[in-house]
Amino acid sequence: MPLWMHEAQLLLRSRWAAAALALLAILSAAAVAAGMAEIARQRGAIAAIAPAQAEDIAAVRAFVDRSKDGGQAAYYSFHPTWDAPSPLAFAAIGMRDVAPYILRVRALGIEAQIYDGDTFNPELALPGRFDFAFVLVFLAPLFTIALFHDLRSGECEAGRARMLEAMPGAGRLWWRRAMVRFVAITAALTIPFLAGAIWSGVAIGAIILIVVVAALYLLFWIGLAGLVSSRGRGSTANAATLAALWLVLVLIIPTLANVVINRTNPVDEGAQIALAQRENVHRAWEIPREETMRRFYANHRRWSDAPPLTEAFHYKWYLAFHQNGDESVAARVRAYRAGLERRAAAANALGWVLPSVGVQALLTRLAGTDLTAQLAYQDRIRAFHRRLRAFYYDYVFYDRPFGASDFDKAPRYRATG
Amino acid sequence: MSAMTLIARDELRLMRRNHVAVTAVLLLLLLTVVAVATAWTHQQGIAETRARHQRAANAAFEAQPDRHPHRVVHYGHFIFRPLSPLAAFDPGVDPFTGNTMFLEGHRQNTSNFGDVLQSSLLVRFGQLTPAFVLQAAVPLLLIFLGYGAVARETERGTLRPLLLQGAAAWSIVLGKLAALGLVAGVVGVPAMIGFALIAGQPGASIGPIALIIIAYGAYLALWSVAITLVSTLVRRRRDALLALLAIWAVTVVLLPRVAPDVAGQIYPLANRLQTDVAIARDLRWLGDSHNPDDPHFARFKADVLRRYGVTRVEDLPVNYKGLLAIEGEAITSRLFDRYARESYAAHAAQNRMVLGFGLLSPTIALRQVSMASAGTDFGGHQRFLEQAERYRYDLVQRLNQLQADQVSYADDTAVDAGADRRKRIGADHWQRMPVFTFTPPTPATLVAAGLQGLAIIAGWLVAATLMLTAATRRLGAK
Repeated sequence: MPLWMHEAQLLLRSRWAAAALALLAILSAAAVAAGMAEIARQRGAIAAIAPAQAEDIAAVRAFVDRSKDGGQAAYYSFHPTWDAPSPLAFAAIGMRDVAPYILRVRALGIEAQIYDGDTFNPELALPGRFDFAFVLVFLAPLFTIALFHDLRSGECEAGRARMLEAMPGAGRLWWRRAMVRFVAITAALTIPFLAGAIWSGVAIGAIILIVVVAALYLLFWIGLAGLVSSRGRGSTANAATLAALWLVLVLIIPTLANVVINRTNPVDEGAQIALAQRENVHRAWEIPREETMRRFYANHRRWSDAPPLTEAFHYKWYLAFHQNGDESVAARVRAYRAGLERRAAAANALGWVLPSVGVQALLTRLAGTDLTAQLAYQDRIRAFHRRLRAFYYDYVFYDRPFGASDFDKAPRYRATG
Repeated sequence: MSAMTLIARDELRLMRRNHVAVTAVLLLLLLTVVAVATAWTHQQGIAETRARHQRAANAAFEAQPDRHPHRVVHYGHFIFRPLSPLAAFDPGVDPFTGNTMFLEGHRQNTSNFGDVLQSSLLVRFGQLTPAFVLQAAVPLLLIFLGYGAVARETERGTLRPLLLQGAAAWSIVLGKLAALGLVAGVVGVPAMIGFALIAGQPGASIGPIALIIIAYGAYLALWSVAITLVSTLVRRRRDALLALLAIWAVTVVLLPRVAPDVAGQIYPLANRLQTDVAIARDLRWLGDSHNPDDPHFARFKADVLRRYGVTRVEDLPVNYKGLLAIEGEAITSRLFDRYARESYAAHAAQNRMVLGFGLLSPTIALRQVSMASAGTDFGGHQRFLEQAERYRYDLVQRLNQLQADQVSYADDTAVDAGADRRKRIGADHWQRMPVFTFTPPTPATLVAAGLQGLAIIAGWLVAATLMLTAATRRLGAK
């Protein structure tokens, strides 16, 4: 029997170690299952859009068909958008539990719609999700500490270390022992993930990358355990020191960094966008309507040949001032977004030096569940909203009748934009 | 000097000599100071920003020119949720809920621009607040200081001589416990001083403050007892340490994340799209103001005409369009309330279930007491949402009433060149609208919300103490 097999047997014969490995495997499997259940729930909610939407739009269709007014169709029709989860999303739910992944928009001012949230229970979101990323980033280091803090000191305390080191190939002994533990812990952690990932149809490249990253993260903690142990104190002191390091590296520095990043990159614009956009939209009722139309046509020549307004209310004016309102806050919107991107970039930069943050950042990036993914979804909503506007404008600006069949011609949101 | 005091002194001397322990205590004190300072300034910053935004929104509302009241219904109002006075100690769900809401006629908007959607992924690692330090970090420190208390004596074989010299088992265990409890007090006090500073704010009242102090005191006492208990039961120091670390990881880190997942799967919430579609469906059923033949509005019209003794809406002394708006708003708001009640009930069921997990993890129970007493739990947010909806309804109905009373039906339906001017009413009306002021919960409400969690912690403390008594008896019998 090869020596490493003996080591493996030795490891599993220790009740502590075997229990720890089994527990890690169970937690990892539970986290993968919980993540997959959550993503399945989200997919179910997305699949339920179509029937609900069909019912809703049928009612609008029924009453608009009487007036054939494209303006009414634009005003009353909400169009669904959604952010379908990636196959990997189960492993790192990221922001998907707090950020909306379904949002309905209509062809009015987008800035008054795009920041709307969905229903979620903040008390449930507060502690963070129980997903694979959590098991990897938070729990796996604790198991690593449990298995590695006494790798050598345990033998010292049992009085065997000197004898073992006197034997030929002693250097390789510690190496072999560490390897066996490393492989065992990596397997306990990643096998449930592999099963979930294959089941969910994750690309092989991403799977390999995550397993490698998980292994590297464990190696970081093993290295730390080795460093602490090499100072030659007892197992107990090692365990205490390592647990304190865990607290600092996984909980305290990230939370402290969050405070610092948010403080140094203030984003105050959100509420200002909302207030300013409303002000600019409603100002249209106070100024000559031609002024609104001039400003709109200056930016949108495509519809500038539309017939002029008459005395009566017309939806083209209404839609035009909504769009003018959006355009009036464009600079603030850019500043707001830049602020959010600066925050995300700062956190990612921290990830390069702090493994806990780095692994979490990488996982949520690969899974498409981070702030960047959320902003990308907003971009897709905006692109869709532009198509919606163009579609309705072609009717409203030229007074083309909007019949029941025209509802079917409205742009459909495509999950990829 | 009693044996117990001697033992406690000896234990404290040993801790003082342990450089790692001293460093850890100092680091924790530093962390507490940082947490109190950042939480405090953060809260001041938020409170200041929200107050400033609220002033700007109020000023914008009052500065509106002469308008048709229905324009103002859609101009709407922005309100900002004020922070509760104790939020600097435990911000609870505040970063996870939007802090501003747009209120307008016949629509219910979400509260937007919550911190969580405006922060990097780091926000999900937790919040550095005094509450977090006391909930998570202090128990870990106590573990490091206390795991060996009795196990060390057992492992080194010094326990038996101590007993033989006449020290009673209970005085040994109580001495160790007293030493650990003293340390818990020392490391807990700075956070509590910070809390007292925070609690000195206007608006904070004694009941919830006392409840928070009692709950954290009981929680740290529970950890001290539990650590001494494990140290008494386990024969080897390392086993005591690993067992305690495992307990800490499960109760402080793991269960608080597992419980919400279970609750979320068992009591799912209806999402906004489904709710909106359902409300629209019910509305069509109850009365569709777009439909000229709608039975509800036909009946409404007949009622109004009969009440005023006229045959045509043109002959009414009030503007019929204003009456229609009032009726329409009443119908939609009743639906909003019904669906909101259902949603709140589902939230409450989820949160009750999570609190049930407090039977497995006292940390969950403590979080609940802490947030509920600080007014930063979901109940606190719900209070804001409910008051916002009441204010929205009141504002919109006042404006609809203005439309009924101040704008004539003839003007309201006119489309000639001067009609727009005649439909408008004076700007002074907007200045007379009440502003939104959040009515804070009474201290009794906050205390009542926290009592369940406190009961769970107390139950834990009693159980742990009984177990420690039993373990001590066994120690003496050896």
